[in-house]
Amino acid sequence: MGEVIVITSGKGGVGKTTTSANLGAGLASAGSRVCLIDADIGLRNLDVVMGLENRIVYDLVDVTSGNCSFRKALIKDKRFDKLFLMPAAQTKDKTAVNPAQMEVLCNEIKDDFDYVLIDCPAGIEQGFRNAIAGADQAIVVTTPEVSAVRDADRIIGLLEKEDLREPKLIVNRMRHQMVKHGDMMSIDDIIEILAIDLLGVVPEDELVVVSTNRGEMVVLNNNSKSGQAYRNIVRRIRGEDVPMMSLEDSGLFGKLRRIIGLK
Amino acid sequence: MATDWAGDNLVRFPGGGGGEPEDMADDNTIMVQRTLRSGQSLQFEGNVVILGDVNPGAEVVATGNVVVMGSLRGVVHAGAEGDSNAAVYAFRLQPTQLRIANRITRAPDGEQSFSTTPEVARIRDGMVVIESFQTGPDRQG
Repeated sequence: MGEVIVITSGKGGVGKTTTSANLGAGLASAGSRVCLIDADIGLRNLDVVMGLENRIVYDLVDVTSGNCSFRKALIKDKRFDKLFLMPAAQTKDKTAVNPAQMEVLCNEIKDDFDYVLIDCPAGIEQGFRNAIAGADQAIVVTTPEVSAVRDADRIIGLLEKEDLREPKLIVNRMRHQMVKHGDMMSIDDIIEILAIDLLGVVPEDELVVVSTNRGEMVVLNNNSKSGQAYRNIVRRIRGEDVPMMSLEDSGLFGKLRRIIGLK
Repeated sequence: MATDWAGDNLVRFPGGGGGEPEDMADDNTIMVQRTLRSGQSLQFEGNVVILGDVNPGAEVVATGNVVVMGSLRGVVHAGAEGDSNAAVYAFRLQPTQLRIANRITRAPDGEQSFSTTPEVARIRDGMVVIESFQTGPDRQG
């Protein structure tokens, strides 16, 4: 029986969907059976990010309202046989599903998979309550911005109230240069406020935008730093002990600067 | 029967004669004078004519034919109750997914090249076929 992990943030635009797609693909490429559930009914994106939009016939609302079985609605990924997507409905809204139905669905699905990742909508209203209803664990995504961290803090409080204790943190879009110049919150600043375990830090990377727009996942790109960060997070989720990646300049000049103490 | 908003002066195509599409004339037809955006869904028993685009994430479901006087980029289902004679016409036919009766098709993965001229999709020999749309006597309907 698998684990159901909800990926949430409170604030919009911090990278929940990108994180969901990349962790899903990363876990599947590592050999796990993964189901991604898009809980953002009415504003679905996960199918687009994964390049699976044109395969959708049935969706989450069809399943919860009893129009079809969940297996019929699942879409198999183009790249991995072990990766499946349950798409959200686009022409309905969050009220088309209730938390009790989501809980039933998650319990049904997790028998077939190692990991069930739920892409939560932004906000703290019904969409959020639906997304967390069936979850066993939570991953909170934030960016190094005061507003995103504030919302993450609010979300952690709400998760604790729903008995989703010890959520894990992913800090997305980190720009090391800006932190060094004191223009951006550092990991330590964020951890000090949120006081939860850090699962990983994903650096800002233009390749994320490029691959997202093409329906590809950066986690599969061996030459990208953000891809490496996602692969490390995947290994941590699978129970490995992976040290945090250095976000310093890794090039020759970076090394030189460190050697001569110009860091 | 064409829907006439004034209540009289019904326009009818002569059944069987003149090469007019009979099945189009015999059903209800709705005219939609706007663009359907993501999340919007239009379902209709009969034919649908859209004077605008159908964007990705929008869907049109009709028991009859669908005509889009613009770009069709969303999901379209013509002949939704099983009419395999139904067809989909569009100025730019680039649907996410195209369904006619009980057939579901999508563009192949990878590079996609679309025609910039009007096209029609219909079932021929059990397969959904897309052809450039031509008026006139040699048009096959």
